[in-house]
Amino acid sequence: MEPLLDYPFMVSVVPALLRALPVTLNVTVVSMSLALPLALATALVRISRVPVLRHVAALYVSFMRGTPLLVQIYLAYYGLPKVLNHLGDRYGWSLDVSSIPAIAFIYLAFTLNVGAYASETFRAAIEAIDRGQMEAALSVGMTRWQGMRRIVLPQALTIALPSLGNTVIALLKDTSLAFLVSVVELMGEAKIQAARGLQFFEVYLVAALVYWVICIGIERGMAVLERRVRRYEGLSPA
Amino acid sequence: MSIVVREVEKAFDATPVLRGVSLEIPDGELVALLGPSGCGKTTLLRIIAGLESADAGEVRHDGEDVSARSARERNVGVVFQHYALFRHMTVEENVAFALRVRRRPRAQVAARVAELLRLVQLEGLKGRYPQQLSGGQRQRVALARALATEPRILLLDEPFGALDARVRQELRRWLRRLHDELHVTSVFVTHDQEEAFEVADRVVLMNAGRVEQVGTPAQVFEEPASAFVMRFLGAVNAFKGWVEGDRAFVSGLDLELVAPASAAHRARAHVFVRPHELDVHRAPVPGSFAANVDRVLPLGAAVRIELSAPGFGGMVEAELDVRRSEALALAPGDAVHLSPRRVRVFPSREDELDSLTASGL
Repeated sequence: MEPLLDYPFMVSVVPALLRALPVTLNVTVVSMSLALPLALATALVRISRVPVLRHVAALYVSFMRGTPLLVQIYLAYYGLPKVLNHLGDRYGWSLDVSSIPAIAFIYLAFTLNVGAYASETFRAAIEAIDRGQMEAALSVGMTRWQGMRRIVLPQALTIALPSLGNTVIALLKDTSLAFLVSVVELMGEAKIQAARGLQFFEVYLVAALVYWVICIGIERGMAVLERRVRRYEGLSPA
Repeated sequence: MSIVVREVEKAFDATPVLRGVSLEIPDGELVALLGPSGCGKTTLLRIIAGLESADAGEVRHDGEDVSARSARERNVGVVFQHYALFRHMTVEENVAFALRVRRRPRAQVAARVAELLRLVQLEGLKGRYPQQLSGGQRQRVALARALATEPRILLLDEPFGALDARVRQELRRWLRRLHDELHVTSVFVTHDQEEAFEVADRVVLMNAGRVEQVGTPAQVFEEPASAFVMRFLGAVNAFKGWVEGDRAFVSGLDLELVAPASAAHRARAHVFVRPHELDVHRAPVPGSFAANVDRVLPLGAAVRIELSAPGFGGMVEAELDVRRSEALALAPGDAVHLSPRRVRVFPSREDELDSLTASGL
């Protein structure tokens, strides 16, 4: 009887998968880095009830949360070039849309998607800070913006952190959809390797293990970070 | 810095909270805003601070109209009810923050913070976070933070509300001493009469969005301006009766008034007697009424007697000093006679009657 798993083959695909890993990490890090400022700005616009913009922000969040990520990726990859071409023709831009790499559309889709989810995290965290903190800031002579930046936001970030950790992990795993628009990241590479030997089970198992190990790493990192920023909390009076 | 509040009105969602409040606080005074919850005292404090804006009327600091200025521009120190210390900053950072925001030189900030921490006796705890402090310590950090920029007005919202009785007692005395040292015009909100009387130079009694009376503790206690003030300050026996000229009548009893009530004609009135102004006798005396002892409660220096007087609307309370109580040797069930030494009468306003009846007196 044949063994269930071809172990030597599994070991042999590890280097190939690891070579694709930087793309996965790249998409994760770049999208997350762009999404956080977007999320914070969106949350602030909604909390401070900026006229017009708050409605735009609400619409944006609603759309991103109300449509599947895969659809968003397709819209970005297939739709955006079309829109850009159309606009280019109309206004006479000399724009070569085909020169834009696929990964740019992936950045865009993930940034907008994660930005919407994270903005809700920020919004809840900011709203969880006692109103008295802002009032105290104003009473000692800070402007509203100073109070937000130096008093409310640092505390809100502490509250938001665990949830943001989840968002990073979700994003990392969601990047596996990028191969559908020809970005060869970890999952894309796994598919290529699997197709070659028709050993799908083995390759996907290895891919799963790689994702898992990285997620464990992120979890650990977040735990350390949380302890750091929470050092002022939950300490008993001495 | 003196504070003047003129005809201030404020409503939240069409519910009036302040209905034309006027108030003058001279420079350097320590004033208590005293009243039951919902009377508008905290809202008034917040309007003086600039944390809330008035719908109508004006606020002046040192004669200058500050109504349009934000809290930031008023240079007012505020101690919040739950302290609102910056949780992510140490004691030292909390106190220094206002100065750092104002870009004061580093050495000056350090010196001022050290001075303030000494003042509130927290030098040893400057590296702690608020969560690591006891309630009384947090309160003192809040005070140091409020004083950091040398405000000329200090506002405190229920400053001792969240502390246990012993710490509260200590902090009251300490606040009074601090005020005597710094002479900063201070206003604090409280619903605790004892606290207001112990700490404040003057007491502002508020009820239902209006100022009922302003005066020294002795003034408002001895010469209450309204039935509300009479009831709010300490225990009181209230009877429904009549007033005519300088005499009051309750259930056929004819009582002489110390200060003649304003009613020239016979009018319905609330007749009040404080428990310690009610004498207890074994035998009837002129102007006394009969009652039965229900309970005898020793309270340390005084003894409280709870009695029922069927002709007088039920429960009556008397307070005797220990010696008098011992001489009488009262026990539950004893039949006694009560005579008021001092009676205060306020003509009834029609709109008051229901609420007074509802409160069971």
